[in-house]
Amino acid sequence: MPYLASDKIAVIDLATGSVEELPLSEELLNSRIGGAAVAQALYAEHEEGDPLVLGAGLLTGTLLSGSSLGLISGKSPRTGALAHAPLTLYAGLEIKYSGFDYIVIKGRSAEPVYLWVHDGIADIEPAAEIWNADVWTATQEVRKAMGDELIQTLVAGPAAVAGSPLGQVMINFWASGDRFGLGSALAAKNVKLVALRGMGLIEINDPEAYVAACVGLLGELKSGGWAGKKGLMDLAAGLGEADFAAWLAPLAHRHRAGFNTPFAANTFVFLEGDPKELKEPAAPEPGVLLTDLDAPLSLMKLGLDAKEACAIIRDCAKAGLDAAGLAELAAAGGVKDAAGVRGLMSAGDAPASGPAGPFSPCAPDKAAFADFGQGGPEWWRRRMALAYVFGLDPVFALMSPQIDEAKLIELAEVGAGLSIAPATLEQVLSGLAG
Amino acid sequence: MLPSPDPRPPARPRPASGSSPSPPTQAGPVVGSALAALPRRPRLGIYCGGGASHSWLWMVDSFERLGLDDLCFLDEKGVASGGLAGLDALAVSGGDAFALAGALGPEGAEAIESFVRSGGLYLGSCAGAYLCLRSSKAPLNLFNFVQARISNLARELPQPLMLAEKFSTPYGCAHVFHPVREAVWLAPAEEGPWSGGGRFAAPLYGGPAMLPDDPCLAMATYADFHPRTRFLAPRELAEATLLGRAAALRAPLGAGWLHLYGPHLEHPGFAEANRLMAEALTHDLPDGPPASPPASPPSWLAGEAVRGLARQLRREVSNSRIVAAGLEDHPVRWRIGAKVYEPAKFRVFLEAAWRRVPALERASALPLAPEESLALGEGWQEITAGLRGLRRALEDSPDPGRDTTGQANRLFDQIKRACVGLLTLHFAARGPRGGISRPH
Repeated sequence: MPYLASDKIAVIDLATGSVEELPLSEELLNSRIGGAAVAQALYAEHEEGDPLVLGAGLLTGTLLSGSSLGLISGKSPRTGALAHAPLTLYAGLEIKYSGFDYIVIKGRSAEPVYLWVHDGIADIEPAAEIWNADVWTATQEVRKAMGDELIQTLVAGPAAVAGSPLGQVMINFWASGDRFGLGSALAAKNVKLVALRGMGLIEINDPEAYVAACVGLLGELKSGGWAGKKGLMDLAAGLGEADFAAWLAPLAHRHRAGFNTPFAANTFVFLEGDPKELKEPAAPEPGVLLTDLDAPLSLMKLGLDAKEACAIIRDCAKAGLDAAGLAELAAAGGVKDAAGVRGLMSAGDAPASGPAGPFSPCAPDKAAFADFGQGGPEWWRRRMALAYVFGLDPVFALMSPQIDEAKLIELAEVGAGLSIAPATLEQVLSGLAG
Repeated sequence: MLPSPDPRPPARPRPASGSSPSPPTQAGPVVGSALAALPRRPRLGIYCGGGASHSWLWMVDSFERLGLDDLCFLDEKGVASGGLAGLDALAVSGGDAFALAGALGPEGAEAIESFVRSGGLYLGSCAGAYLCLRSSKAPLNLFNFVQARISNLARELPQPLMLAEKFSTPYGCAHVFHPVREAVWLAPAEEGPWSGGGRFAAPLYGGPAMLPDDPCLAMATYADFHPRTRFLAPRELAEATLLGRAAALRAPLGAGWLHLYGPHLEHPGFAEANRLMAEALTHDLPDGPPASPPASPPSWLAGEAVRGLARQLRREVSNSRIVAAGLEDHPVRWRIGAKVYEPAKFRVFLEAAWRRVPALERASALPLAPEESLALGEGWQEITAGLRGLRRALEDSPDPGRDTTGQANRLFDQIKRACVGLLTLHFAARGPRGGISRPH
């Protein structure tokens, strides 16, 4: 049995309602390592069923700093090509511990359904009652039905159900890094959401050595330029967007990181109540968690004030609409006010061209708080490929030159017992990044 | 008395929590030499009926790890209706001693006495020990099998320093009180199965300190407090009550023996105590003819039926433990009988079941009739539904003070029964050592 894995792939055929469990073959691991590279292979294997593949990186959910990444891979309604969207916060962790290493969702269900994946079981459940619900309601209803607040959901909101190319896969209540319209791809299969919960354990090849290596690496990482910084405001400043912090600061309440990610790259803003108050706000829905810098930054550049912009992002979160794509669409159309942006929310349009390449542009296109000694699109794609194979938060991957290819090869050996030849890594990264 | 394994909501990733710090493994027996010397593998019964808390699961885990895996489970009806026949030993762990005695009743007392007198071994820890100590209180007085008294008894109850709900239990006009909890050091007696050995630790969760009279023999005494001992009473009082008193004793009755333990030597977190408990057990096991093997089951599940059942069990035990884990954050407590239960106790049963699911998944055949298989699966489905219902009752009720004790009590009972069903299947499926032959 491989380490850092459950050794199981679920193949869910929605057309027949069947769930097949397959072993994760060593051959696949040896040739593809993990994450997006394995998802790419599974996509090709099941291409006739237009699959969506959920998975996690080789080192996701471990003591490795930043190892929060899960992913959803599939044919993008926006680009028509295979795309990989990042699933951070705690969704990647839950995929890793769900009892399946990869979940292939293929075909189309005759009736609306949701998938309940838990401890090595993938159940197909009826979803008629929540089919038209917004993202927040759908998540709450499923958590209530299954009885646990820690269930992570990947949701297709009303925008996706309506077939918008900006229909985003949402994580629980908030935006994921899906800029490819994969939420609409999920809804097109008649799947409202995937609910995930795993209470299992995964074994480490050499636990003591792996812990020591991760702790040692964390010590090195702490000397990085990101130390002492947090949230989207510091991130924007680090990327040279000097005005953003002052624009957002009056609404900022707290910052939140994904699983075991040292830099908290998400910022919760209050739309009601005083964000400086420490007590629990009276309003049940006081604000929104900003998880993608591009959305508020683009809306700021259109000239919207922060409260208007964040209210739009909150409504996008409920609708399951890619707010960054919406802002891009507004900018392309010369829209300069909140009403104009809101007018585009139900239009079902998308920017003329989708993201270039298979990786989500939710990660900045350059390094932040760090000098990697190189840059540019090729470097960025390779860095993303590395993050998506090993399971690193893609934003943190751009802050942490200490987590380099040699270090990840070493951790794969110690943690997963997987010996990766440099030539294999080269082949895997090239195969993903082009 | 009620043991508290101190389960906490686990950190991510969630390990199996509850009572077992180290899950049982499929490794060989720890007491290899003592067991190897036995002419046959003993068949042990574990009491899990009325009055028992969850600590009988510790017996299951420890025995299994020690290689004592010919196990069966009995409730009060099983004890009274001939279930002890063919057993070498009966183990009764913690719970509520009065409730144990009440559930077992005169028929149970008679059955146990007859079992021991005819050469069987009774192994009681905590409430299972109190049960057999000399008492004038009904219904405990039905079980006066051991000439020893309780030393942690007081007419005037001292003030507890903490955990008031765990500190004492009424006992007639007096109170049994518990000056400490958690690990304590025990010292082997100069004579007996552990003579010559060093001190060892075991956890005390309300079990007795005992004053043995002839012909009882102390096997170990309370020797000292442990860095992990928690004091519920001032240290001086704890010392006067416990130190030097018998923590483990053995008493003859007819051709058999009773082993009584104040602390839970069976707790899976205390390997040395487990080993010694098994050593003592092997020392006094009946040496008569082999116990009659249980009758072969009338039918077997095989092939797709096994896979279907195992899958259903995985699904429902998983569903149940997910809800139960979510309930652990809730502050609710239930007083059931003389005991206070918190939601974390659900998971102690569920984790015990969960750990055995993979072995059932690997089985090619299971000794179970189709209707039993159906009932087992449905039982677990009902538990999932019941736990979800309890959660809704706790969280959605407009009345925050709504009493859910009845609901929780029924669920504990259901979970215990379903857990017994799954464990019975698990041990029966383990093959010839369990006395059951699998079909080829």
